[in-house]
This record gives sequence, C-alpha cells and structure tokens, in this order.
Amino acid sequence: MNKNHRVVVTGVGVVSPLGSDKETFFANLMAGKSGIRHIESDFAESLETKIAAWVDFDPLAHFPKHKANSLDRVTQFALVASQQALEDSGIDLGTQDKERIGVYLGTGMAGAASLEEGYIRLYRDNANRLKPFTVLMAMPNAAGAQIALDFVLTGPNLTFCTACASSTISIGEAVRLIRSGEADAMLAGGSEALLTFGTIKAWEALRTLAEEDPENAGASCKPFSKNRTGLVLGEGAAMVMLETLENAQARGARIYAEVVGFASSSDSAHITKPSPEGQARAMRNALKNAGLQPADIDYINAHGTGTLLNDSTESAAIKLVFGDEASSTPVSSTKSMHGHLMGAAGAIEFIACLMAMQQQSLPPTMNLNDPDPECDLDYVANKGRVGVKVDTVMSNSFAFGGTSGVLIAKKL
Amino acid sequence: MDTFETLRGIITDKFDIDASKVTLDATLETLELDSLDTFDIIFEAEEKFGIKVPNDQVEIKTVQDVVNLIDRLRAEQGKK
Repeated sequence: MNKNHRVVVTGVGVVSPLGSDKETFFANLMAGKSGIRHIESDFAESLETKIAAWVDFDPLAHFPKHKANSLDRVTQFALVASQQALEDSGIDLGTQDKERIGVYLGTGMAGAASLEEGYIRLYRDNANRLKPFTVLMAMPNAAGAQIALDFVLTGPNLTFCTACASSTISIGEAVRLIRSGEADAMLAGGSEALLTFGTIKAWEALRTLAEEDPENAGASCKPFSKNRTGLVLGEGAAMVMLETLENAQARGARIYAEVVGFASSSDSAHITKPSPEGQARAMRNALKNAGLQPADIDYINAHGTGTLLNDSTESAAIKLVFGDEASSTPVSSTKSMHGHLMGAAGAIEFIACLMAMQQQSLPPTMNLNDPDPECDLDYVANKGRVGVKVDTVMSNSFAFGGTSGVLIAKKL
Repeated sequence: MDTFETLRGIITDKFDIDASKVTLDATLETLELDSLDTFDIIFEAEEKFGIKVPNDQVEIKTVQDVVNLIDRLRAEQGKK
C-alpha cells in the first residue's frame, strides 16, 4: 500500500456568523462585513461586554422537533456543516467504502449549553433530576459521533480538544491519517456553541474579551491595531471533505487544493501567554512537512485574535520564520469579522484560505486604522484584494494551553 | 384528563407523531420510539403525574403498558 498518499480538499461546509453557506461567508469577508453584534439573550444585561459573533440558526429548519431537542447546538451546527461539505464534494457515499471514511472533529467547550441547562435546573430551579439526554448532548464527542451516525461513516472517529487550535489539529490529523493509507477520506473540522451565560462569564473573568466599540459594535475586534482590546467570542461550525488525490480524481471531483503541510507544537511556557518560539516552531515544521520555503507562501490567515498578547507575539513569530519574506507576505485576521469561533476557528479560517485560493482574492483585516508598532507586517488592512496570486496558503491557530497548529494548502 | 390522554399529549408533542396513531395497543416500536425515547417519555410522565418510575420497571412494549405503569405508580406512590 502506498504509505504517502496526497490529500486534497473536495468539499467545504460552514455555519457562521457571516452566513451559513460558503459563498455568502466568503463574499461577506471580502466585503469587510461583520458578524459581531449585540447579544439578544436575557442574560446580556448582566455581561460587561454585550457583544458576540452569533449565528442566526433555526434548528427546526434542519431537524425534526425531537431530534433537534436531543442534540446540543454544537452538534446541530456540526451536522449542518457536514451535510454541506458532503454535498459540496459531490461524493456519492453509496459508492464508497464507508469503513474507510471517518470523522475528526475539534471543539473547545462541546455541549456547553446542555451542561449549563442541567446546572440551572439543579442549582437554580432546585429540580432533583436532569433530562435523560443531558449526558448524550453534553459529552465532548457527541458532535463527531452524531456525524458518523447520520452519514454512516464507520472509519476512525476522534474528537480533538485543544482549545482554539482544535479544528486545525483535527484537519491536520485527518490529513495524516489519509496520507498513511488508513483512510480514503475524512470529514474533518470543528464546531463550537459556547455563547452561554456561564461560559461568557468565565471568559469575562480572563480579561481577554474586547470592549464594545462605542460607535460600531461590529468593529469591536481590532487585530494588530494599537487600540485593540481583546477577542470577540463567536460560534459556528466548519467542515471539510478530505480525500486521497487518487480518490478525488477517480470520481472527477472538483478539487479546492492539496493539503501539503501540517504541524503542531506545544509552547510549554505558560497556560495563556503565547510564545513566539512555540508558534514559530509549528510554522517551520509545517513548511518542512510541505517541503516549501517561506517565499512560497502567498497568504497567511493569522490566528489574529485581537488580544494584546496574541497579535504582537504572532507577528514576531512570523518574522522569526519568514525573515526577509515577512514584510512582503500578506497576513490577515478574518476574526475581525467572524469573531473567534474557538473550536471551529481553525477550520473556518482554513476554509477562508481555500476560498481565497479559489477566487484569487485576499480577505482583509478590518478595523485596522492605527497599527501597533510591534505589528508591522502587511495585514491587508480594511480592504480585501481581488485578482491577486493566491496559490499557497498558511493557516495559523494558537491555543490557550500552548498548542499550536499550522496547515498549509496549495492549488493543484 | 385521564392518563392515556395526557400520555398521548406527551408523545405527540415530543415526537410530532399523529395523535391517531397513538392508540392503547400501539407498540412503541411501531411508533418508531427507541429505548432512549422511552426514557424521555417517562421523564415527562414523572413530571406530569408526580411519580417516580424505578429503573427496573421501564421495560414496556405498548402504550397500554405505559398507561398501566403510570396508574399503578400513581396509586402506590400517592398512598405514601
């Protein structure tokens, strides 16, 4: 068996604050639109910052009532994005060996809402018992398991939980699995639905959330800007269909790109404070894995959270790896528009990269009028670029806990 | 409202099943309800009827079985 299969992306699916289909999502990115807005839940008045990048989502538009009631929002998102990715790939699962197709999913807080709802019943409402589906809705592997159940994919099924890097890691590990010959295809990506009162309060306590821009709530996330104040929490899901080049070519599939490089590393320095060396190590190893040089990269989708520490550290790390090429390599943070999707962040940003290659266009970093002097790269500030060469891309994800994940994809 | 009518309300509301299909002799299997769905129905029935269904008594096949179980537990547990 060929132990070094080439792996390509043939389908993508998104459920996002900027639209829940790939075209709308990318068109909104290119237009600089923001998915960040006021939280409408009752608990919003008790929050210090009342904004998030949330998804307009009606579960009953996708699932029968009882099924919707037995799936956490994180699983609902994941299923819808998976369905899109499968349809987009044009794959006919009936003709495939489904034992050789698996699911790798990343998530940060998994079924946060279901767990919280349980606690509300117990501690606030003094109920003495919980709904029968509580465990099945809250367990971290619920979304990945449900995807396998719905589409009858009986290959490996793993859930990756590495905070903000979860879905970059899930995609990268799925690529490794297919390369090794252990699977022909994988649905991989991430899902996150953590906009609950308890979870937002926990983030609030970390003092990493952005203050609301007084003039425009949508402009509150300001990556690489001198006046950035933090990240904006988001939710959604993003899934990609990965398969061997042979498989894709044999069925005449449309191919977005080949995933040529992946690496992960651990800072092992601090639980929240990022390390330029750790981030640089992941980027270097991904380049090495791809057999590419920094000059080959046409675009970097940055982790770019908008926190004080991340953006300067990431800029420094890019300079460590890219050297003289750093200033001429466009870097953007699409989180300025879709917020921080945590466990789905890496996957949705990877899809932004794939769409950038497909459309030869670079999405901007919005709200960047006054750059931080420590952030002195080309951040594609405030206006996307259309009709530029985007043939090779790098997507960065750096997590609390110190895990870094970097993916590199190249047009065929 | 009697036990059956209340139970039928729980089943039709939760699972979008046509009320005409929920008859006393209908089996949960023909209504396409699995064991987890049964737990869900029992959970609601416990709330509505103020009863506690012991774990060893959730083996039921038909709607009539559920009605009998609820009525028996209401009588037993109501006397306490």
